[in-house]
Amino acid sequence: MSARTVLFALVAIAALILPRVIYPILAMDILCFALLALALDLLFGFAGLLSFGQAMFLGGSAYTTAILVQDYHLDGALAIVAAVLYATLLALAVGMIVVRRSGIYFAMITLAIAQIEYFAAINWSNITGGENGLPMTTRGTLFGLSVSNDVAFYYVVFVAVAICFWLVVRVTNSPFGTVLSAIRQNETRAVALGYRVNRYKLGAFVIAGALSGLAGAFYALANRLAGLEMCDWHTSGAVVMMTVLGGSGTIVGPAIGAAVYELLNYFVSSTALGRETDLVIGLVFAFCILAFRQGIAGGVLSIPWRKTST
Amino acid sequence: MRLSKIASVALAALMLCVPLSTAPVTAAGQSPIKIAVITDMGGVYSSLSGRGSVLAVQMAVDDFGGKVLGRPIVVDAVDHRNTATVADAKAREEFSNGADLAVDLVNSATALAVSSVGNQLHKLVIVTGAADKDITGKFCNKYTYMYAYDTYALAHTEAIPIVKGGDKTWYGIAPDYAFGHSMAEEFTNAITPYGGKFDKIDFMPLGTTDFSSYMLAAKNSGAQVLALLNAGADTVNSMKAAKEFGLDKTMKIIAGLFFTGQVPTDPTLWTGLKFADSWYWDQSPEAAAWAKRWSAKMGGGQMPISIQAADYSATLQWLKAVKAVGSTDADKVVAYLDGHKFSDMYATDAEFRTADHQVIHDFYLYQVLPPSEYKEPNAWVKVIGTVPGDQAFPNPATEGCHRTW
Amino acid sequence: MSLDYIAAQVFNGLASGAYYALLALGLSIIFGTLRVINFSHGAMYMLGAFGAYYGAQVIGLPFWAALIVIPIAVGIFGMVLEWFVLRRVAQNDPIYGLLLTFAITLVIVNVMTLLAGTLGSPYAIPDALSGATNLGFTYFPTYKLFVIAVSLGVCIAAWLVIDRSLLGARIRASIEAPALVRAFGVDTPRLVTITFGIGVAIAALAGVLAAPTTNVLPTMGDEIIIYTFAIVVIGGLGSITGSIVAGFLLGLLQAIGAVYYPPIATTLIFIVMVLIIWMRPSGLLGRPESTR
Repeated sequence: MSARTVLFALVAIAALILPRVIYPILAMDILCFALLALALDLLFGFAGLLSFGQAMFLGGSAYTTAILVQDYHLDGALAIVAAVLYATLLALAVGMIVVRRSGIYFAMITLAIAQIEYFAAINWSNITGGENGLPMTTRGTLFGLSVSNDVAFYYVVFVAVAICFWLVVRVTNSPFGTVLSAIRQNETRAVALGYRVNRYKLGAFVIAGALSGLAGAFYALANRLAGLEMCDWHTSGAVVMMTVLGGSGTIVGPAIGAAVYELLNYFVSSTALGRETDLVIGLVFAFCILAFRQGIAGGVLSIPWRKTST
Repeated sequence: MRLSKIASVALAALMLCVPLSTAPVTAAGQSPIKIAVITDMGGVYSSLSGRGSVLAVQMAVDDFGGKVLGRPIVVDAVDHRNTATVADAKAREEFSNGADLAVDLVNSATALAVSSVGNQLHKLVIVTGAADKDITGKFCNKYTYMYAYDTYALAHTEAIPIVKGGDKTWYGIAPDYAFGHSMAEEFTNAITPYGGKFDKIDFMPLGTTDFSSYMLAAKNSGAQVLALLNAGADTVNSMKAAKEFGLDKTMKIIAGLFFTGQVPTDPTLWTGLKFADSWYWDQSPEAAAWAKRWSAKMGGGQMPISIQAADYSATLQWLKAVKAVGSTDADKVVAYLDGHKFSDMYATDAEFRTADHQVIHDFYLYQVLPPSEYKEPNAWVKVIGTVPGDQAFPNPATEGCHRTW
Repeated sequence: MSLDYIAAQVFNGLASGAYYALLALGLSIIFGTLRVINFSHGAMYMLGAFGAYYGAQVIGLPFWAALIVIPIAVGIFGMVLEWFVLRRVAQNDPIYGLLLTFAITLVIVNVMTLLAGTLGSPYAIPDALSGATNLGFTYFPTYKLFVIAVSLGVCIAAWLVIDRSLLGARIRASIEAPALVRAFGVDTPRLVTITFGIGVAIAALAGVLAAPTTNVLPTMGDEIIIYTFAIVVIGGLGSITGSIVAGFLLGLLQAIGAVYYPPIATTLIFIVMVLIIWMRPSGLLGRPESTR
């Protein structure tokens, strides 16, 4: 039993009891951000592509879900499918522009496109509610069943997110995943070996986009709300923080990072240190980068757990 | 290998031992009455609301005696981080943990989110900090009251006295999002019946910090009034630009959303500005007495603004209602508050209007005085117009509130 | 639309371009030598503005002195930051520099919010520069002309230093071949620190210039940072001239755009950036080397 499996198991157990320990909606937020960070990890930790615009998928699919459920009274399942479809198509369109570049250009262009979506969300306020956002009066139904019970819905989201994590493990262990790693380590060599590098990058970007879209759909349903802050570049930045904090390239890391960030954000602001919340988050993050770059999961996993025989 | 297995099992066991619930132990009758002040504690609006609002609510609780119905009253400061999702989650958590009133809600997006939560959970929400009139318009609901101001009140109080005074040609700049468009519409509706007309309203894209082009256009238009239909940093930047182009000498300048407490940040910049607000700390002896108490508790150096005074007043009104009906049950309290008239330190001839849950009261047009004319420290403004409550606030019949309760 | 109006708009564009150019210049210098995307650049701009404010409040520092003193002070702060904090991630992937400066920004902005509040701190235009100047075809605020002049001056001076001086040669060399430069005995770490200080100082200068006409808020760097990134990319990462040109150009474009179709003005910079990366990834004046 490897250290990674143990860590996964621990995280899974923590996730299972989470809604009993903290407020269920906050728990669902953690799941959604874990999924977002996972998507980013696939891009950044494995393919070496830093996207600074994941908020475009979170925001766009959240709005799609909220509009379909609130204004058109669609079943949640349909809304989720539509939202993921939106995210996937957006990722395809954006990806085709973006994958020809890498490094800082990749980051900047994803940031710019996310900003364009942000401005669109503000300007088309008769659809999106502008800066007031779109509150939903109900969570609607999922496959015809009511999901208004927060704890019950949490476990639905948990199952979906767990499946996504499993999927990503499979993808990264597949030949596709191996090529992605190769691209991250030495893109020129991968090209020289004959791989159609851009296709792989596009594939990773689209998968990440779809996962982020799913996260956005659940986020809107969990909070009964779609808002402008979901498209904001600070949210993209927060997702990057979560991934790096948790440990990029570890898959389980993003889940840990998301939990740490969300809990800090929620609970520090409720204490006497409320006005210093950003300060605390910034210091924690800075400390993490300076002290152990592999993030929490990376650090834990690098401890030699097994006693090697001499 | 065995070690890691033991360790993982032990850790798992430890985590499962974590208490399964963090809800406070309550015995009915012993549990405190909770008021949640949901505000921005550290962000953009923290200086207008934040700590000062929490203090205002606490002062109301203390002045009321600290208990009602035999139960102690607890004030929870809740930071919504200017994020609707955080506001929503924290409001739900507060209500699930026994809060009976949410107050303040500076930032319209959070106000709308929490209003929706209050409606779903049948808990009272009193909004003092947000400006969106849709909160008591198309999004009105049984459990939300809007207490202090909205874009309609601001527009009408700012526009009507001026246009009646003969200034009929206007030039406006507004931010290109819902608030800006709302203000533009309200102002146009306010001045048109009196023969006023906007030469143009420029909508500036989000993030504009340079207002030079708009000031130039305003100057070239020759209009009598410059309406800065914006708020916050936009107002500051546009005012600075207006003064750069000398517009304060040739035009009357009105600020859309501006609070009395913003004057001391730059007294010379704001001199001459006209704006509307619902309350000013020196408007009466009672107000001044309360304001000075608040100021002392805040450590001196600042005076409260209308939002904080409204928080104080709203909390007291709610506590009195709770005492009168003998319960915190929201339906009973709403039945009591609907139609309830009152006058206090904050509002004169006020009424909790039944039709749309807007609390109506007089609204005032102020002009900022130059520092040389201050009669005492912090006496920044003078009143140049008053609009009575029933005219200052929207007509419920036309504002889109469909009373479904 | 009269010629007057359009001409005035052109000057407005140059005035806002002046700020963009200074910020992009600083960011470009830092990126060129440290290979770090300095996310805290906007925060340094903000510190410059607050430096002017606190200078005036606490020691009655006049504007003219603030123009020199504050950038130096913030520059020193930047050097300290680089020496003790940023240096530690210098060997790693540049991404960590970006993330670290992102975290530092959170800290700096929060500290300033605690100190200064969010209502804005006042700063007046110095009397000598207030009012408007007759440019012949229109009146234009004198202060804005001053800003354009200072920005152009600093940009040209920076270009001259980087292009003509020994320090500049070393900076350019360490952009192209850091290992070689070290082999020649140049104290690269010190060079790097000084360069960071200069870049940050220029940002602070932009902040001091902004204080009289912009609301001095802890969040004032927040919006401008992403525009600055876009401009640096448009100009060409690593090209000093590119940043300067792109800065003024985009300022102009925004002002003209605001005349004809306002909603597009703020998105324009991003649209142009996307187009540039698509068609000419090395930017307007950048070298076509590492675009991948």
